[in-house]
Amino acid sequence: MSDAAVFDVNPAASVASESPLAACRPRVATLANAEGAGVVVRERAFLGHLILRGNAADEAFVAGVEQALGLPLPTKACGLSLAAEGTSSIQWLSPDEWLIIVPGGAEFATELRLRECLGGHFAVVNVSGGQTVLELSGTGVREVLMKSTPYDVHPASFPVGRGVGTVFAKSAALVRRVGEERWELVIRRSFADYLYRWLLDAAEEFGVHIAD
Amino acid sequence: MLLIYCPYCEEYREEEEFRPKGEAHIARPQNPEETPDEVWGDYLFFRKNPRGVHHEQWLHAAGCRKYFNVTRHTVSYEILETYKAGQHPASDRAPGVGTGGAK
Amino acid sequence: MQHYSGFGLLKHGLSYHENWQRAWRNPEPKARYDIVIVGGGGHGLATAYYLAKVHGITNVAVVEKGWLGGGNTARNTTIVRSNYLWDEAAWLYEHAMKLWEGLSQDLNYNVMFSQRGVMNLGHTLQDMRDIQRRVNANRLNGVDGEVLDVRRIQEIVPLMDCSRNTRYPVLGASWQPRGGVARHDAVAWGYARGADAHGVDLLQQTEVTGIRVSGGRVQGVETTRGFIAADSVGVVAAGNSSVIAKMAGLRLPLESHPLQALVSEPMKPVLDTVVMSNHVHGYISQSDKGDLVIGAGIDGYNGYGQRGSYTTIEHTLQAIVELFPSFSRVRMNRQWGGIVDTCPDACPIISATSVGGLFFNCGWGTGGFKATPGSGHVFAATLAAGKAHLLAAPFSIDRFISGKLIDEHGAAGVAH
Repeated sequence: MSDAAVFDVNPAASVASESPLAACRPRVATLANAEGAGVVVRERAFLGHLILRGNAADEAFVAGVEQALGLPLPTKACGLSLAAEGTSSIQWLSPDEWLIIVPGGAEFATELRLRECLGGHFAVVNVSGGQTVLELSGTGVREVLMKSTPYDVHPASFPVGRGVGTVFAKSAALVRRVGEERWELVIRRSFADYLYRWLLDAAEEFGVHIAD
Repeated sequence: MLLIYCPYCEEYREEEEFRPKGEAHIARPQNPEETPDEVWGDYLFFRKNPRGVHHEQWLHAAGCRKYFNVTRHTVSYEILETYKAGQHPASDRAPGVGTGGAK
Repeated sequence: MQHYSGFGLLKHGLSYHENWQRAWRNPEPKARYDIVIVGGGGHGLATAYYLAKVHGITNVAVVEKGWLGGGNTARNTTIVRSNYLWDEAAWLYEHAMKLWEGLSQDLNYNVMFSQRGVMNLGHTLQDMRDIQRRVNANRLNGVDGEVLDVRRIQEIVPLMDCSRNTRYPVLGASWQPRGGVARHDAVAWGYARGADAHGVDLLQQTEVTGIRVSGGRVQGVETTRGFIAADSVGVVAAGNSSVIAKMAGLRLPLESHPLQALVSEPMKPVLDTVVMSNHVHGYISQSDKGDLVIGAGIDGYNGYGQRGSYTTIEHTLQAIVELFPSFSRVRMNRQWGGIVDTCPDACPIISATSVGGLFFNCGWGTGGFKATPGSGHVFAATLAAGKAHLLAAPFSIDRFISGKLIDEHGAAGVAH
């Protein structure tokens, strides 16, 4: 148990939150439903995002994270641990840095739980307000990604359960493959509007549907 | 276009993901207060800038955001080796000795 | 030297232009010169020309490993301006500008200097504050300049997208009407012809392989055509300056980077000024042949290969197409790179060294062409007197020890 001072950054549910895409008015022609759409875009807003730093060579640290989250800590480069029900995940960002995503509202409890299970030199930071997640699904997604990033998204080099940080449409994003035809982009708040509109523009030719 | 092997991400990535950060292995003078201006100026500004094999720092800016070192030829641009920050180049320099050479 | 004139052109027309003199000789190297200039680009040739013309020192050789004006002189985007922020830099570049304005007459050679104006765009409020400050500083130094609002920009360059519907909308610009472009090859050839006429030996295909130093003084240069003795050696080798410095056991505060440029297919006249944007990294003008001449930012890594990365080209063309949507269908004809020697403060080094009689004129980075006449003029004076010309003195290499830098990153141009 660490003795760091912690506090819930979002204590009252009555305070309205606003997605970074709240003011975005896309101008492309979208399809009314997912049927026939090559690309379905869905924002997964208000999830809990935590950055975890620590020493992957420390067995107690690795075991502590697994104990706290019920998910194995990915220690291999570009690893992504996904909970079976898809509600939470841990993504390798660098040899000593991970992104933990949990259901919205669970971030403070998750932070407390990590602090309970971990000892020694580590850090947990709640970054939920700084980024958002876009989920992309459909047969056209890979084509859209190929237009946007130099990273090889072919299934041979990008299996399900992989996540990379890379260049995306002259900005940057975390690209994660969470299912056969299901991908996630973790994008920064300040670039969210631009990247969202870029994606819709790139996806328009395959037929794009915006899901709630 | 360079394909650069990131020793932390353990794979080749496109040049676009990286930022070059200049000559590697420049030691900061131990006691700045007692360092003469000539030595401090040399540390800050003067560079080898070789026409040939060059050890340099790169930052994997869009990936893991770690600094690492690259041994690269400044005329052919061939990358002979990449290695983590704090490590030393495998040798100076039989081509193809280190890891992360040109693919 | 054969005088060039309209009458001469007519006269030679009668003999089918078969009897023109060669513009310069191709002499054998002498054993000894008063001064040897290393590097036969614009700056080196201008130095030799002013040494002979202004200072009467004609026992001079220019040693060039390739052909005259074949390096960065042939590879730059030919922009001439003098709107630099700091006094020392403004004085130096304005000195060059004044020489440009009389250069064709002085050399009896048409360098096609065209004062069509240079526009530096601002895309953020901070850009505009910097532009205001720079234009005010310029005016105090006697350099012409004004701040343009979007309406004026649109009048001068109707093709440019000045709407708010771009990623980086244009908010305004600085404008130097006396700026413009010149024909880069003609500058090298004009200076070469003028220097040769005064007796300077231009030694092409002669590569310097070593600098002979004895007793703390330079003795001459080893070349692929043998040793050439000299009282003084002036190195004007741009991207290869560090390589030459190493031959004399010196290090310089320089890093050599590839800088790329492109030209398009020729078109009807569409752009009669020079547009630069530091913010989106691109600059563009239209040559007299009709091709669009486009310049990029440097490639970030050290490189001596005269080429750069596709990433940089893509980045540059995105910027150009964003500014000029109508150019999106224009085909690019050629792309190349030059090696620019960048300095930590984006200002040149015109300086003596710790080796007696060995002088360097380098570090011009991405913006050397515009300074060609001024650089040659002050470097010639420095070599002739053995000590720095008044305008060159602030650009001593000692500033990297004393810390008295002249930080021109804001005005020096694109991305370095």
